[in-house]
Amino acid sequence: MYNSYCAIHAMLTCIILSCPVCVCCSRRLHGRYHELAPHLVPMDYTRNPDVKVPLSLIVNMPELKENPFRNRIVEAFSEDGLGNLSFNDFVDMFSVLSETAPRELKAIYAFKIYDFNVDNFICKEDLEKTLNKLTKEELTQEEVDLVCGKTIEESDLDGDNKLSFADFENMISRAPEFLR
Amino acid sequence: MCYFEGQGYYSTEQSLRLRRLSSRVPNQNAAPHFDWGSSPEGGKDDGEEEPRNLRELAMPLYMKKKVWQVQQMRIPVASGRVRRSRALRLFYAEARNALAMVTLWRRAIHKIGGHFGGGVQSYFVFLRFLVVLNFLSFLLIAGFVLIPSIVFHSLPFNTSISHMPNTTNITGLEQCMVYDPNPGALTVFYIYFLDLLSGTGFMEYSYMFYGYYNNTMVVVDESFSYNIPLAYLLTVSFYFLFCLFCIIVRMGGVARVAVATGGGAAGGYSMMVFTGWDYGLQGGCATRLKQNNIRYQLQVDLEEERLKLKARSLTLLQTVGLYTLRGFLNLIVIALILGAFTAIAAATTFSQKNQRDGIVGLLLEYLPSIVITVSNFVVPFLCDLIAQLENHNPSTTIILALLRAVFLRLVSLAVLLYTLWSNITCENGMDTGCEPCSYNYQQYQCWETRIGQEMYKLTLFDFLTTIAVLILLEFPRRMVVDNCSNKLIQWVGRQEFLVPPNVLGLVYAQTVVWTGALFCPLLPLVNTIKFVIIFYCKKITLFHNCRPAVKVFRSTSSNIVFFLVLLFGWILASTVLIYSMAEIHPSYGCGPFRFSSSMWSTIPESFQNLPHTAQDFLTYIGSQAFSIPLFIFSCVLLCYVAALASVYGKSVALLKAQLKLEGRDKQFLVKQIEELQKKLKPKQDPMGPMALSHDHVQATCDPQDSYSSSPPLHSYALD
Repeated sequence: MYNSYCAIHAMLTCIILSCPVCVCCSRRLHGRYHELAPHLVPMDYTRNPDVKVPLSLIVNMPELKENPFRNRIVEAFSEDGLGNLSFNDFVDMFSVLSETAPRELKAIYAFKIYDFNVDNFICKEDLEKTLNKLTKEELTQEEVDLVCGKTIEESDLDGDNKLSFADFENMISRAPEFLR
Repeated sequence: MCYFEGQGYYSTEQSLRLRRLSSRVPNQNAAPHFDWGSSPEGGKDDGEEEPRNLRELAMPLYMKKKVWQVQQMRIPVASGRVRRSRALRLFYAEARNALAMVTLWRRAIHKIGGHFGGGVQSYFVFLRFLVVLNFLSFLLIAGFVLIPSIVFHSLPFNTSISHMPNTTNITGLEQCMVYDPNPGALTVFYIYFLDLLSGTGFMEYSYMFYGYYNNTMVVVDESFSYNIPLAYLLTVSFYFLFCLFCIIVRMGGVARVAVATGGGAAGGYSMMVFTGWDYGLQGGCATRLKQNNIRYQLQVDLEEERLKLKARSLTLLQTVGLYTLRGFLNLIVIALILGAFTAIAAATTFSQKNQRDGIVGLLLEYLPSIVITVSNFVVPFLCDLIAQLENHNPSTTIILALLRAVFLRLVSLAVLLYTLWSNITCENGMDTGCEPCSYNYQQYQCWETRIGQEMYKLTLFDFLTTIAVLILLEFPRRMVVDNCSNKLIQWVGRQEFLVPPNVLGLVYAQTVVWTGALFCPLLPLVNTIKFVIIFYCKKITLFHNCRPAVKVFRSTSSNIVFFLVLLFGWILASTVLIYSMAEIHPSYGCGPFRFSSSMWSTIPESFQNLPHTAQDFLTYIGSQAFSIPLFIFSCVLLCYVAALASVYGKSVALLKAQLKLEGRDKQFLVKQIEELQKKLKPKQDPMGPMALSHDHVQATCDPQDSYSSSPPLHSYALD
């Protein structure tokens, strides 16, 4: 039952986020969230239950199932860093991944996704893991080393052999998909 | 509803911070810090800043709600101006969304981009641009030429005045005025169909071609008169200028992206790694393909580096040998292309001289189109084979192939047109039929209609070839590959959708339409329908028959190339137009310009009929007193814009250098803090849970520390 709490919640989300998630989308999202774990997620949110759906159920969503970064995506949006999403986090994830989200926001979360060891830097190991996920581990180790070396060489501005958020954002801002 | 009930905002924030410090899991929600203590700066900008700021904060949703509440409480009552600007902004956002919804084929192109990548998507975007351009052109021509002609044809005869300039002397030219396009009344049905294909017969004397339009100035009553010849001329000129304007605007948009991203060349590897993945992909198949693409692209890039290194390490003898080989192969390519041109010229001349009936006649009429199409298939194929011997690196090979194909297509069209025109004006010296009428009357009673028919035939044949290739080559190929497990066939594999040849096909078709627009006013409509059908056919063949290209086509820099090539086509067509309008004598027997000495001369004659003030104004604009200052002003504007561009470039470079310096600053400060910690460490007791790791030691530092340079930098480093 979609009750008044959810309506107000949706409206506020709508205002705050300026409609990447609108009221009807919020209702649909709640439906999707519910069907991930019907026994866990109540339809009625009036009592504001503190419910979190675990990682293993979320990564089976069709939108994420084949994505090589699915685990990292869900972990980046969860509060505890382990991938358990509450409904708010769920809505957050879809609003950032939507087409209309501002590009600065997308850059911030992209950085989080690629930072595997969560130390706020993308170091060589993070890059190797990213590359292996991108190419399904079909590059030789030598090629992986070469590409990682070149990537860091191209983007590292402060010379510490790893990419901070500033380096990452500077490099990303030149990508044509980010220029609207 | 506990999010809305009040815990104090600052206490929540503090408790969060404490929670962050004490947790074992390193804080991963570090993001640009929201400054709780900030106050809104004046009423004017605040209304615009706050929703944007809120959207851009990388905070969980409940935090954003709190921030929003804080802001709502702080803002003074919005003034009328703020409210109005906010409403205006919302309206623009809604309008932009609505416009995006109405864009033609938005979903289809999005789907294509998701499955096949940016390169193939750019082809379909280009096709859509051409469809819209052709449709708007058709509306223009219909509004100013077609509809008035239809209306005035149905008016009684005495309202129209035959427009005959008083300077012509038509004695002795009666033979030139005979024009008899109508065949006998009874025709066999298949001849009707042949006429449709070749533009003769019932189609020749119709609104389709130039010959049908009258050179009348229609006077409906005293105040309203419509000069059809002038309308015809001005509409076609305006159509060309309109197309040029559209191309330049689109090119500007595309160039802006390319310049800002450095043409996609800089930062190739990091771009590929970080922006290569499409998060919108669904399905295992598309994902595997994308992974293969990325792997292949990275391997190709690495291979290019290796080749470059190898090329640098060649000995002198090997280099000389390589360049000699390349020069020799280039000569072969040039010879092939010149051979194709000769064939086209011969075919055109032969086809124009011999007219027969029936199927043989139809084949003869289509001979130039057939030769052009065959050469456009065969010569690039041979050039590709030759290019493999040339031993360039992959990107140079692609660029060379593109250049050669462009040259072949556009210049072969130019050769065809030149042959036609030299036939009309008897420049090849063999015909002496040009004397009385100053054009080749023996062959062409109405030469403009004939040119229009040639362009119509070229368009139609191009369309038929595309459909035939689809049905006869691509579908069978897929069926063979899917059902036959022969090793060789599997190695050949399914069709790959190659972007450059397809785009060149579009440019060629559009150039033909531009060339023919003066002589066949309905050609843009024909072309619109043709391109719409081609869109759907190509989409179907893409999804059913093609596999995604293993070589990914870089779309950013190549988009500019497409528009540049289109611009070359436009230049070719406008050269033809200007030459036809200014130099060749219009036919005496047909068309709106029958008794003028050239098409252009209509304008000076109509000029005389303008009121005096308009005449004076136009004379002034055309005079030196106006054009020289205008020229100087344009030069000044150009210098200004160039200076602005260079200033922006310099400031970008300065900002990049500053970014590097800031990074060095940060490292210096981090080292200082570490040294300080080391000095403090022996004096303090063994730590509790607060100072386990390096990062957390830094997190305990007082944010108001005098070492910190600026709050945002600090928060990036120390959270």
